[in-house]
Amino acid sequence: MGMGAPHPETTVDPLGAGLLVTEETGVAPAGTGPAAKPRSMFRRGWEVFAENKLALVGLGFVIFIFLFSFVGPLIYKTQQTLVTLNDAYCAPNAHHLLGCDQLGYDIIGRLMVGGQNSLTVGLAAAFVACLFGSIYGAVSGFAGGIVDTLLMRLVDAMLSIPFIFVLIILAVLVHPSRLTMIGFIAIIYWPGPARLVRGETLSLRTREYVAAVKVAGGSSRRAVLRHVMPNAIGTIIVQATFAVADSILILASLGFIGFGIQEPQTDWGAMLSNGLNYLPLGYWWMIYPAGLMIIATVVAVNFVGDALRDAFETRLQRR
Amino acid sequence: MAPLLEITDLRTEIKLREGVVHAVDGVTLGVAQGETLGIVGESGCGKTMTALSIINLLPTGGHIAAGSIALDGQEISSLSEENMRHIRGNEIGMIFQDPLTSLNPTMTVGRQISEVVRLHRDVTKEQAMDRAAEVLDLVGIPRVRERIKEYPHQFSGGMRQRVMIAMALACEPKLLIADEPTTALDVTIQKQILELIDDLRLRLGMSVILVTHDLGVIAGRADRVAVMYAGKISEITDTETLFTRPRHPYTEALFQALPDKAAEAGERLYSIPGLPPDLVHPPAGCRFAARCRYATDRCRTEEPPLAGEVAGHEFRCFYPVGPSERTATGRLASYGASAPAEERETPEIGDTLLDVSHLVKDYAVTKGAVLQRRVGWLSAVADVNFTIRAGETFGLVGESGCGKSTIGKLVVGLEKPTSGSISFEGKDLSKSSAREYRRERRNIQLMFQDSYASLDPRMRAGTLLREPLVIQGIGTREEQREKVGEMLDKVGLPRSAADRYPHEFSGGQRQRLGFARALMLNPQLIVADEPVSALDVSIQAQVLNMMKELQRDLGLTYLFISHDLGVVRYLSEKIGVMYLGKLVEVGPAEEVYLRPAHPYTRGLLDSAPVADPEAEKAKVSEGVRGELPSAIHPPSGCRFRTRCPRAQAICADAEPPMTPFAGEGHLAACHFPLEIPVGAPLETATTASE
Amino acid sequence: MTGYIIRRVIQAIIVTLIVSIITFLLLHLVPGGEVRAILGIKASPEQIRVYSKEWGFDQPLYVQYGKWLWQLLHGNFGFDIKYNAPVSTLMITALPRTLVLAIIGTGVGLLIGVPLGIFQAVRRYSVVDHVVTGIGFVGYGSPTFFIGLMLIQWFAIDLHIFPAEAPQATSLGGILSDPIALVLPVATYAFVAFALWSRFMRSSVLDNIVQDYVRTARAKGASETRVLWGHIFRNSLITIVTLLGLQLPVVLAGSLFIEYVFNYPGMGLLFYNAALNTDIQLLLAITVLSTVLTIVGNLLADIGYAMLDPRVRYS
Repeated sequence: MGMGAPHPETTVDPLGAGLLVTEETGVAPAGTGPAAKPRSMFRRGWEVFAENKLALVGLGFVIFIFLFSFVGPLIYKTQQTLVTLNDAYCAPNAHHLLGCDQLGYDIIGRLMVGGQNSLTVGLAAAFVACLFGSIYGAVSGFAGGIVDTLLMRLVDAMLSIPFIFVLIILAVLVHPSRLTMIGFIAIIYWPGPARLVRGETLSLRTREYVAAVKVAGGSSRRAVLRHVMPNAIGTIIVQATFAVADSILILASLGFIGFGIQEPQTDWGAMLSNGLNYLPLGYWWMIYPAGLMIIATVVAVNFVGDALRDAFETRLQRR
Repeated sequence: MAPLLEITDLRTEIKLREGVVHAVDGVTLGVAQGETLGIVGESGCGKTMTALSIINLLPTGGHIAAGSIALDGQEISSLSEENMRHIRGNEIGMIFQDPLTSLNPTMTVGRQISEVVRLHRDVTKEQAMDRAAEVLDLVGIPRVRERIKEYPHQFSGGMRQRVMIAMALACEPKLLIADEPTTALDVTIQKQILELIDDLRLRLGMSVILVTHDLGVIAGRADRVAVMYAGKISEITDTETLFTRPRHPYTEALFQALPDKAAEAGERLYSIPGLPPDLVHPPAGCRFAARCRYATDRCRTEEPPLAGEVAGHEFRCFYPVGPSERTATGRLASYGASAPAEERETPEIGDTLLDVSHLVKDYAVTKGAVLQRRVGWLSAVADVNFTIRAGETFGLVGESGCGKSTIGKLVVGLEKPTSGSISFEGKDLSKSSAREYRRERRNIQLMFQDSYASLDPRMRAGTLLREPLVIQGIGTREEQREKVGEMLDKVGLPRSAADRYPHEFSGGQRQRLGFARALMLNPQLIVADEPVSALDVSIQAQVLNMMKELQRDLGLTYLFISHDLGVVRYLSEKIGVMYLGKLVEVGPAEEVYLRPAHPYTRGLLDSAPVADPEAEKAKVSEGVRGELPSAIHPPSGCRFRTRCPRAQAICADAEPPMTPFAGEGHLAACHFPLEIPVGAPLETATTASE
Repeated sequence: MTGYIIRRVIQAIIVTLIVSIITFLLLHLVPGGEVRAILGIKASPEQIRVYSKEWGFDQPLYVQYGKWLWQLLHGNFGFDIKYNAPVSTLMITALPRTLVLAIIGTGVGLLIGVPLGIFQAVRRYSVVDHVVTGIGFVGYGSPTFFIGLMLIQWFAIDLHIFPAEAPQATSLGGILSDPIALVLPVATYAFVAFALWSRFMRSSVLDNIVQDYVRTARAKGASETRVLWGHIFRNSLITIVTLLGLQLPVVLAGSLFIEYVFNYPGMGLLFYNAALNTDIQLLLAITVLSTVLTIVGNLLADIGYAMLDPRVRYS
């Protein structure tokens, strides 16, 4: 507490809002611009986001991968279920632009299949984990007291277990498929968002605009739903974006050691696992394309996530 | 004698994303040996940038574009960084506003001070530490040998600022720059620190540059004053002349916007319209022209030079205001050509609206590993009684930790009292059912201090204003929108403001929004918690005028909570003074102000800086000494006794009761008050005022 | 501060208990799972019934939990049929190897990443800053195993500088005496660590540079170097310690892949082989041990933080 220090009044007309109607006379003082359109938070956020070139590149790449994986097979048709040993190990040629793997599957086709799986599982797992985690964290943050303590101990416990071990155990106990993969990853990932949302909830709870609702006679529920949650969405969205990147990595890692999605389905990690055997033979097309796909996609999503985080922060801190 | 510091036509620029800000645009001033120069102005005027330019510590993107700064004849503005470092901390010392963040939290106080010694003197570690101890003693830190090994967070706010001063003075600089040194401190501590700086200036033969927005601080401490506006000096002269014979319209307007003066004269505050100009594209002509009531076309196109008729008094205006006549009482009458300030109206006072009786609020202090055990109570509000009548403004004043904000929260219903009652229109609020309680919310509303934090940044202003109506289920959507429009009119904002987001408004405008929201439910009582503390003087005046006007129009009652005595005095009919959870004095505003009965009130009044150099000089008492005790273990008996110059043994044993004094409803709780209580027999009048 | 430490220790104990319950439940969720864990997934229902009774798996759950916990506390993790050795022995031999590699690798990553991160903060937006950030991004986005693979491909297979396998010696001394073979696996650890630490240090230093106390230090006449090392670095150090403790689970997870790729007989590889053999008992034992290590690591990090930050130490 202590004396109220004057906040530095911006000497630049805030956002050219043209709101500098003099308080007493109703006439705009000389030197200010014309009234600007009201800028919604969303538009401002988008502007900050768009300034970040990397983010745009990242977003573009992500969209490209989507199209590649899902629309691609309609254009570039390849055989992905029948084994054609004639073509096995073939180097890049006119028929198969990136060559074939040991079963004669076209590599590009494999990449598309892998992409479908990686993206689907990645998105779904991230969604489920963040949804559950956010609700869990919000409940814990609001309840406070002993409930909060217990719920958070569980989160702590789960965060202490090296996730890969649990994943593999689950994969050993239950036969891995796309659906189970989504479930497993969600199970080990949700504590992260839970903790973050709880922290966010705790901090937002004490904001004065929540108190303002009470002063007007409103209920806590109203304060939560209409004020706290919308302001927490930013953090959740950013968290979810990074969750997608992490999920793709996790899936690829699992696939690499053979505990992920099984043949004839595949994902990029499994492709790498295959390719590992042929490293000494120099069949680079069986390794680099898949590896680079993973890296590029994850990095692209990370760019987007970083930019989103900046965009949300400026929106809320802009004075 | 040559001045110690000479600044000539200094221009400092800051490169920002939106353009280049000309923060300091041609400033010329000088500081003589051993004098205190005050640089005063509102936010954004360039005073801090000027100070930082002297030691070339500008923020990223800032640089000195032109001009010269000479220390003792030596040019320092163009020095290399390495040479400049020899000056910083050595020949020029600087202290900043917030001592908590300005000290390294992970280094002991002793080490931080000895660091500056070792940077500039060839001494051993031990010798530097000895010097640190010496200088800590000089600034009044008790038990130096122990405290020198402690960390900043273990000191109170006032003590921390002393540490900062010690650090700045350790190498005995010729010049001390103090940038808002007391703004973050309580009023009573503020006085202690300003005294200290003055004292040290004399002892060490230093010069001081005092940068502040508080005219009262300047009035009491500075020898000469420079008033800055929009990056330029608008007027510069010695203190007495500035306060008695200002020439620049801005200076005049500032004085008329001060609540202290208006309160005494019974006048309405003059509020300067508009906001300061954009320093990325500064206007042609006089920078103040857009807001000046005397501006002509010439002012808007041509820039007036800094010049003056009398030596030592310069101002930047073509049509300066005339010299004023000093009236017989030594107070200031209104100036030359200006329009006479309006008379304040006396409001109509009705019956008792709010009755607070034996109000107590304790907060549990917990400790414990897993299970939180309660180890003590923090006594925030301890048995407070007061009443507010309809149409009245009750000012609740006190320093940090006194409990005034807590009382605000209790009255509004954000907290529940530990015991005691709050009655509105005769009905005890704690006895209402949940449904009744919700309805009752309509009668008492709150205006927050930090409007930025109290307005949801994701909602438009219109939605925020409509929300109370929506919660209470009043009116259709159309009707609600109409009401919002009405309220915006009332608080002086355009109706288009409803579509905008909180971050698009300035501070003063946000306070208006907050006030409009408080009015939406047509309350009878509004609790305003420090509503103008974060605003500049000119904006503050606008908001206070608005509040006064609306009070008259809508028949409102205010519980006005503030630490600023001047503002409280201007607005209130009745004042209550709080200290450490206790209401120590209450009574009519003028009575409490002019004839305080409680030593704390007196101390508070003496500590609060007033924009009148003569009044400042006339203050003889030392304000309030010592530090605020803990609210968890408050002193027994009278809580103020640890800092009271009149305390005796009985003060520790028995809590003093509220006794009546001259003036309607004037009460104070003191065993040895400054005035004679009503009804006391004359022989026991040993407690006469000084 | 003692209050703080006691509170953290109690929390850690509670968390460990919860973990033990989770692990226990994992094992016992599948009917007959406990027996299958020992005999193998393909055990017949007949065998399951017989051995359930014999080994006491038909007793009520909480009794079993109690016994299991008791045994765990005594270091008895059971007996592994496939390796024909007590589980604890298997882990005790494998763990130090993992730790050695992980510590050296992370240490190298720290030594490179921290100074680089500081440098990046001081020379913000320079070419070096962008390049390092870029490399860091790649490090973030690459799966650990891929980095290992690439290193093997380039340096072992193409250039023949380093061997493709990590040291196969069984003793620590043996391992350490074969430094050439250590280079690639250490480099893999280091690359991932470097990406994390350089990014973290950069943002930590940048956060501190704009603090008020830095301005005060400059106003005292301190040089930029002094401000950086005497003030900013000290404050960043505190957060480094905390982060270090939190890195343990990540490092252990990474160890699985690195040991797999480089064929290094540490706990990661042990786990992988156990998974191939569906040796559930061993899998769970390793998980429990790793978790306990993680909890201890976090606890040490918190205590370290409490000791380094005077605001916690004297409150």
